[in-house]
Amino acid sequence: MDELDRELLAVKDLEDDNDSFDDNSSKASTKSKLPLVNLDMHAEPPRETGFHRSTRVCLEHIRDALLHHRWQEAAEYMACYPQMLEDTTNGPSQSCKELTWRISTEILHHHPKSTLEDYNNIYERMKHSGVRHYLMICLEHSFHLLLHGHIEEAKRQLSVSESWRHGKESAAQFQRTKLIQAYRSLLDYIIWCDKKCTHSSTENSDSAENQDIRNYFRTASVNLKEILKNPGVWDPFILCYVEMLEFYEDHEEALKVLNDYAYDNSFPPNPNAHVYLYQYLKRCDTAEKKLMKVLKVLHVLVPSHELMLEYSSSLLQSEKSGDLQKALGVVLEMLDFACWRGNLVVWKRLEAIIQKLQREKDWKDVVFTKMSDRQGWWPALHFTNFHASKDSEENPELMQVKAPLTKTLCPSLTLKYTDWQAINGK
Amino acid sequence: MDYQFPEQLYPSFYNCGPPDLVLKHCAGNWGCYDGVRPQGGSGPLSSWTFTSRHQVRGETWRHTEPAPVPLLPPKNSVLWPSTPPDPQDFPEHMQNFFIDHCQDAFGSMSEILNEDLIFKQGTKKMSRIDSVYMRKMESLIKKGKLKKRPLSFPSKVLNAYGSMLSDVLPAVPPALLGSLLFEELNEQRERILFSEAATGGAMAFVPFSQSSSDSQSGCLLYPGNQGLDCLNFQRVELQQHGGTPPCLNTISSDLSSFQLKAPVRQISTVSLINNCCVAVRSDHLCGVWRFSEGDKPQLMEVVNTKEVATCISVSPHVLGEVLVASESGAVDLWTVGRGMQRVREEGENLYFNAKSSWRWCEFSAHPRVMVYADRTGVELTDIRVSPVSNHTLFRISNTAECRSGERLILSRYLADIHPFHHLITTQHSAYIMDERFPCVHMLKWDHMMQSPPMFCSTFPGSASSRTAKVLLGSHRSQEITLLQYSGGKAEACSSRGPPQALLRPRDSLRHLPVQLPHRLELATSRLSSPAAGLTCIQKRGGGEECICVLQLTEAGDIFYQILEPEQSHTPPPALEKNTISEINPAQQPPPSLRRISEASSDEDIIGPTQTQSFVAETQEEERPELDTYASSNESWSPRKSRRMKNLQLQVTVNDYDNDETVSGLDTGLNEETAREEKADIPEEPSRVEETTSGSRKLSDGVLVTWKQWLQKLMQKSHKNKPRPQRRQPFKITTKELIDLSSDDEARGEDSAEKERVENVRRDLRACMANRSLLVHSAVSASLGAQEVVEVPDAVKTDGWGDPTSERFTISWQGEGAWQAWWAENLGLNREKKVEALRRKRRREKEVRRASSQRSVLSSSFCSSLSYQSDLSDFSDLSGWSSSASLGAWSDSGGGLSQAEGSGTRPSLLNQGTRPSLLNQGTRSPAEPTPPPNTPKPLDSTPATVRRRKPQEDYLSALFAPQDDASQHGGYFLEEESPVLHAPPPVASCSSQSASLRSVRTGFSQSLTPSQSSQGRPGLSQAPLAKKKKPRMGF
Repeated sequence: MDELDRELLAVKDLEDDNDSFDDNSSKASTKSKLPLVNLDMHAEPPRETGFHRSTRVCLEHIRDALLHHRWQEAAEYMACYPQMLEDTTNGPSQSCKELTWRISTEILHHHPKSTLEDYNNIYERMKHSGVRHYLMICLEHSFHLLLHGHIEEAKRQLSVSESWRHGKESAAQFQRTKLIQAYRSLLDYIIWCDKKCTHSSTENSDSAENQDIRNYFRTASVNLKEILKNPGVWDPFILCYVEMLEFYEDHEEALKVLNDYAYDNSFPPNPNAHVYLYQYLKRCDTAEKKLMKVLKVLHVLVPSHELMLEYSSSLLQSEKSGDLQKALGVVLEMLDFACWRGNLVVWKRLEAIIQKLQREKDWKDVVFTKMSDRQGWWPALHFTNFHASKDSEENPELMQVKAPLTKTLCPSLTLKYTDWQAINGK
Repeated sequence: MDYQFPEQLYPSFYNCGPPDLVLKHCAGNWGCYDGVRPQGGSGPLSSWTFTSRHQVRGETWRHTEPAPVPLLPPKNSVLWPSTPPDPQDFPEHMQNFFIDHCQDAFGSMSEILNEDLIFKQGTKKMSRIDSVYMRKMESLIKKGKLKKRPLSFPSKVLNAYGSMLSDVLPAVPPALLGSLLFEELNEQRERILFSEAATGGAMAFVPFSQSSSDSQSGCLLYPGNQGLDCLNFQRVELQQHGGTPPCLNTISSDLSSFQLKAPVRQISTVSLINNCCVAVRSDHLCGVWRFSEGDKPQLMEVVNTKEVATCISVSPHVLGEVLVASESGAVDLWTVGRGMQRVREEGENLYFNAKSSWRWCEFSAHPRVMVYADRTGVELTDIRVSPVSNHTLFRISNTAECRSGERLILSRYLADIHPFHHLITTQHSAYIMDERFPCVHMLKWDHMMQSPPMFCSTFPGSASSRTAKVLLGSHRSQEITLLQYSGGKAEACSSRGPPQALLRPRDSLRHLPVQLPHRLELATSRLSSPAAGLTCIQKRGGGEECICVLQLTEAGDIFYQILEPEQSHTPPPALEKNTISEINPAQQPPPSLRRISEASSDEDIIGPTQTQSFVAETQEEERPELDTYASSNESWSPRKSRRMKNLQLQVTVNDYDNDETVSGLDTGLNEETAREEKADIPEEPSRVEETTSGSRKLSDGVLVTWKQWLQKLMQKSHKNKPRPQRRQPFKITTKELIDLSSDDEARGEDSAEKERVENVRRDLRACMANRSLLVHSAVSASLGAQEVVEVPDAVKTDGWGDPTSERFTISWQGEGAWQAWWAENLGLNREKKVEALRRKRRREKEVRRASSQRSVLSSSFCSSLSYQSDLSDFSDLSGWSSSASLGAWSDSGGGLSQAEGSGTRPSLLNQGTRPSLLNQGTRSPAEPTPPPNTPKPLDSTPATVRRRKPQEDYLSALFAPQDDASQHGGYFLEEESPVLHAPPPVASCSSQSASLRSVRTGFSQSLTPSQSSQGRPGLSQAPLAKKKKPRMGF
């Protein structure tokens, strides 16, 4: 893109302020607008010194080598690149430091002889090269330690970075601090588990040790509770928090936390939140009604979830009048999805539901209404010639279940599935 | 268990709001783990393990060749310029139009005006004056045509007419034409930068059920013809036999093609229940074909869309259901045979105004829930309820950590990898979304591609490889990036390894033998035409696993590259020349191919004398077996060439142009095998070394394929040259300069002339045989007496006294002299001269003082001169040196005074002129050039001299300098002696001593000729003395 374009666009940007999303690289055309990636990512800036030019070219080579997974070549080039950090003209930029860190770590990842010292070296050095990426590198450093089994070392790292403060923090930094705290608490929980485990094995009810374990719980719970207030996906955190709460029999708090996690609208619709709640309620032997309520919500969210099997079975067992129809709906919807289509359990469930339904008078109408919008595509989905041959080969039992159901579900159609069975099955 | 949802997801924040991230570096998310989650556990510390969302290592897949291989021979194709046009260039385009298509541009008006403007003289309709003008104009135009830039040809008349008629003459008003052109160029530029119509890709591969363990066959669907408006279904086979690199073969007998009305933009296929449903989208027409392994493709239905269709998508659930999205914002569910049903319509963009009418649609895990996408996000649309219910699957926002300006490029339902996964790409990232947990991405990559990825091909992990692979392809830059991920079922998704860039056709020329520049240019532009499609063939089971990535370019070429999983113990896959053919029976082509090989390979590839015609001939031979449409789709299997290798014949493919490449092939091969052998020696080659050997060489089979491809490309380009240029090349009429007519006549009539020419030829041959020169004497006998052209006379430079001429003259004497002249002229050596003058004065004073004592000696000056000349160097010094240190010598050696009779002495003593004497003596003693130290008084005279008789000057300078010196003496009566004119060549010397030395030595030599010349009549002392006199007298 040339200068003139940019200038024109700058003018245009001033003109329509209302469209803040309109990126400055989009064009003033009528048809389509797509801000492309800066095409001249590697283009020469108008003024640059020889030093900058050589480092820029060097970076291009590194990038190319990394993208093609030529690690050794990249490492050779990378030996030269860090001189960019000693740039005296206007100091190394933030991006340059982050770049150095990212590339060197990636190269280390693929170096056959990289050691933990090398990693520590690069993490520690780059961590202290700038305040803005301190937290991010700290976090990554602890991840690295965790992945390599150095849990205590990682916890020490996290504790150090937890106490790090630097002036005004941005939103991203705030979130990183929270994450660091949460991960630290996760490690507290792990130590708590460890202590609890050794404690129970020795069967020595020493109150001092109990207190020690409880301290771990307390430090962990503060931060875990804190992070659960922020919208996000906190599956590992909430699981360990609930486990600790359960251990200390704080059921009220556990239920509250799980309910918030599942039903807070600011949170993303995480199916696991409902699953955790359901599992917790089930552990606590809560009434069937409450469990059904949770599953009902989950059914709306994820009609294909495997808990729907339990939902349908509890609906089937329920004495309420409408529940059987609901169960039919749930199972039919499960069968809509490809992943359940060949599942014998579901088909059997459907068979059971139909059988129970047939005791009622208007069962044909109920089935018809449920099947009315499926008439067009269910046969193609389940009851073709191909399905028949496949089922008979792979799962004859399934065929036995499916074949009688075709007549019930699609009474108006003559299906090849049954024809095929008629011809080949006998 | 496809229905499982991961028990634990990686922790992340959920940020709503518009995207605000601005990434400044280009490292993407290299080096990041991007979150970890605990696994196992609830026991002691050691039982806990962690997994990261981004896992460092993925599977390593290596290319079998360092460059992609063309699958089909090159077809004719129209290439767009690789650089996008600048809309600001529209005046240039207008100018070209006016010149190249003047009939279209001005035809109508010029016909009307034709009656009034008469270009020929003598017509009665116009006034005489006007017709004269017109005549002038005609000649101007004629001249203008010859000019490179005709419109810049200056002419008042033309300008006047131009301003008068400019708004009348063109058929299309220039302002309108300009604005339209600008618009068009803008659009072209955008299309070249990013062609959204091509999203999805116009190539697909439908695998057939495994035919054998070591091959994977299937049907490749790709557009053919120049305009990519012919849909081809061709059977291809990816073959791999133990030990040899896998290769892709086209089976030309099994090809059917359909001519369409518009270029193919997108091909979407689904293989269901042994049937394959193919939906093809062009701008306004969409068609559905159906075929299976046994059945030929069969067109089911075609629909015409009112608006430009932007997406077509075949249902993976129900055969014959197709979704079509168009620019109006509508998505229709097209059930083949039952018509279209509108499922959704959006006038606006989904989440914000992206000013884009591009829409996309896909199926999802539920057969009645559609994915509806535009540039701002993706929605899941449930079409079962009458006002469709929508919920967000993905949106450009802070949640997805989008950068500002990020837009959605492609959405793809990954049915074959995971029934609930969707791939979403933007310019910067690729996301894996799980439709069960909308809004939050399961995985995010920074794909680090330069242009946005708009093609995608995926394949699930097989038994041996656990990772699912996603291939992203970009349009303009031809990039292909391989991403790997795992999980999504019981475990959360995690990406494996960093993105891997695959090979691009445009980079392949690096690995090929060097091409001639014009061929290189052609090949480069052809190879760098934007990509138009991407697909891959996965060979699993049976022998070794491999994947073949095919890329279609807009020029209609298909390139493929084969990747194999890296196994540390297997040697590199390149062949060893001799062994394979013997070991491997599979080298013999299968029956379907053998015929082609025999028909074409032996003659046309190996033959050392290759003509262009063979291509057409062999194609004719092949044709009968092919389908009617498959005129030139013969396969190009590498095995052909390998077979040739077996025959041990030298492959000379390109011999008429670059035979050095052929030899290069052989040596390259030898080197390679040598290297291979060497590489095999160490037990465990270092892994890094192995992976980083980026500069591997192409195997010979591929090289031959490439050479054939390039050669055919060149032939094609020769056949269809660009249309003849209407502009005439710049010509100079030489009729006036050289009159050949008489010569022609003579040649035509005179047999004697012919005979003479024959004679000359014979002589020439004889001379060549004897290795002697053909000189005039040898020729003259046969040619007869030839008029002897006299050699021009010597140049006489003395007539030219102006500084420029002087300088030129001096420059002939060498660098030193020339520099000295400048020093002299610019007064650089003024101080030196002043110093010398002072010394001279001093000496003169001394002399004068002493003269009273030595008056006797002074009278005998002449004799002392001759005496000195006879003496050695020593005496010279004593006599002539001006150096102050030698002052004593000079004092004693020569008694000098102005009063003495001979006038030469004082002037010779002048330091500036003395060395010139030397020069004159050695070169042309009498060459008369005005003295440089007195240029000003000479200014007028030489000019007049030159004007009067320049030719005489030439001649005299060349031939008779000495005679002329006396002859010309008259001109110089008022001047100093001609002997004294030249500048001192030593003046340039910086050190005084050096100059001194040269002066001394030079002087001794110089004196001799001047003295000897004294006795000669030509350079008599008398006129010189005469000349001096007036000067001496002032």
